[in-house]
Amino acid sequence: MVATTAEQPFTVAKIPVSSWSFAIRVWLATILALFVSFWLQLEAPTTSALTVAILAEPTRGQTLDKAAFRLLATVIGVTASIAITGVFSQARDLILAAFAVWLGICVFAAKLLDGYRAYAAVLSGYTVGLIAVQQIDHPQHVFESGMARGAAITVGILSIAVVNTLIFPSDRQPGMLAQLATIHRRVREYASAASHREPANSAAFLTLLREIVALRPAIASVALESSSGSVRSAAARSAAVALVAELQAARLKDDLEKEASGWAARELQRRDAEVRQDLAALRSARWPLRVWRAPLHRSYRTAAESGIRAAAWVAIASMFYIWAGWPAASFSLSFVALVTGLGATTPNPRGFTAIGLVGTPVAAVLAGILEFIVLNGADAFPLLAVGLAPFAIGAALLLSSRNFLWSGFGRFNLTLIMVLLAPSNPQTYNPQNFLVTTLLLVVAAALLLAAQTLIPPVSDEKRRMQLLADARGELLKHGHAKGEALEEAMFRDASRIEQFLAAGGAQDGRALAEMLSWFDQSTTLRLCDAKLMEFTDGPLASLADEARAAIVARDASTLRAVASRFRELAPQTDSMEADVAACLVLTSDIVDAGRGDDPSRKTA
Amino acid sequence: MSHTFPELVIGGVLLAPFVTYLAMALVVIIVLRPLLHVVGFAKMFSHAPIAELSLYVTVLGLLMLLF
Repeated sequence: MVATTAEQPFTVAKIPVSSWSFAIRVWLATILALFVSFWLQLEAPTTSALTVAILAEPTRGQTLDKAAFRLLATVIGVTASIAITGVFSQARDLILAAFAVWLGICVFAAKLLDGYRAYAAVLSGYTVGLIAVQQIDHPQHVFESGMARGAAITVGILSIAVVNTLIFPSDRQPGMLAQLATIHRRVREYASAASHREPANSAAFLTLLREIVALRPAIASVALESSSGSVRSAAARSAAVALVAELQAARLKDDLEKEASGWAARELQRRDAEVRQDLAALRSARWPLRVWRAPLHRSYRTAAESGIRAAAWVAIASMFYIWAGWPAASFSLSFVALVTGLGATTPNPRGFTAIGLVGTPVAAVLAGILEFIVLNGADAFPLLAVGLAPFAIGAALLLSSRNFLWSGFGRFNLTLIMVLLAPSNPQTYNPQNFLVTTLLLVVAAALLLAAQTLIPPVSDEKRRMQLLADARGELLKHGHAKGEALEEAMFRDASRIEQFLAAGGAQDGRALAEMLSWFDQSTTLRLCDAKLMEFTDGPLASLADEARAAIVARDASTLRAVASRFRELAPQTDSMEADVAACLVLTSDIVDAGRGDDPSRKTA
Repeated sequence: MSHTFPELVIGGVLLAPFVTYLAMALVVIIVLRPLLHVVGFAKMFSHAPIAELSLYVTVLGLLMLLF
């Protein structure tokens, strides 16, 4: 066990020291990125400062993970830009149509992924907006502009990586261990609680499940932290998968008739031992006994719908800009694509656009103060560095806040101030340019919000219905992906419940109960199937086959009959045969319960 | 003796030799990682990230010196 103490963190001006050090690191990395870009005379120094702002993540592993995906996505995006410009040269409307389709494809991909992978998918999409669309009138510059962007991003990544390594490096891994250990303790408490069917306990189950699944992207980030990172990441992933299995074993434990409860208690103990082994492996950086993947549930239909909507929003905005015929509208359009893309990685795209619409004028005021009052014509680098300090540090402090709204607002400010200030060498101070840019950004956000009101994003209810349909379909097919272990399939189901809850599933009690019932059924069926597989080559093969056929047919009475025959054959109470018998009884109970819970099911 | 640095040409685009060295050093470090884990490199130092950055710089310097 790991003892976790709730120490009061050391604070300065009521802000934890870790947040201060994070904010100062962001500022220093911005300065370094700008300095190197100016020194190398890169064409796009703003992009390198922007990269630092985007990669501003609290821990080193997260920054490196995001950086790797940003680089990869830029390569994909630049390639797509060159391809789109090359195929549709001399045809502006077709370029815009191809861009809308490409962004739709990228949003589709993002909806199938999570964490920084989803970010990389949408970045591949809006990079085309930043390169091909911004150079729509000068297609011969697409390649140069792509190279300039790539170079600036590399400088930004190197700057923040070096600063993060040298100054107060903070790793995700110790926090991850503490988090997993705490969740493990709470799972054990949940297991020892009296009855799991009480509403409070069901809520505890869902909270734990959500917390475990939410760790998934962070676990992947641990891999890049040190030379032992990939081992620790594998151990943490296995621990998370085992935790879901333990949690589910605890949930099933007191559902049972007396005869099966002994088996369920043994199952719970076995799972608990697995979690403990994985946590020990994580602590001492050893490979876990079994390396499990943590697959994610992918809802292709919802993803496709989101992709089509994103393409439609960009198409509507493009048509508006073509109709308006403004100069520099391409800049505004690329901002529409950016907000559309980033919004797709949040649960509520329209809310994200609304934050953008409110945040842009605020960021514009701050950037205006910085450019025309603080700097006001200064051309020395140290003055820029000092002038940037309060704005970069302030926004980064907001970013490190626990409040989702403040943190989003901080990220928005950090990046938009860089976009509007557009540091360059020599710096230009043109109020008219500044106002036009601000206006174009605000128009872009307003236009996107209008488009999203016209064609609303996929509603939560629709997503929930789709997830339920997925769960039902998978259970009726009674199959899981080839080569996927029982525990991995369980984790995938857990990630589906997490997505269901993220889509406001907690309010929809009836659907939630159905979702949980599907989860229980599929887990038990898989468990039983795995146990029956052990008899395939033995003398009880025919009985095992009969049981499997009964599972597929959801035939509770046959299941009970087969179970009693297994029990008769069992030499002692904790033998394999007795376990299978208990498991079959459990399955028959759940098949019955599933029928009771859900009268809409007619197939069984 | 003067050392010439060959430029990397990809599809007619010239890349600075330093970029090639940076990428090569990264590849070397990635290949070395399992070995570093086996010898317990991260446990030898109080600030493992700085030690790993130094290792990267050493590999980069060696590559530039030798190739």
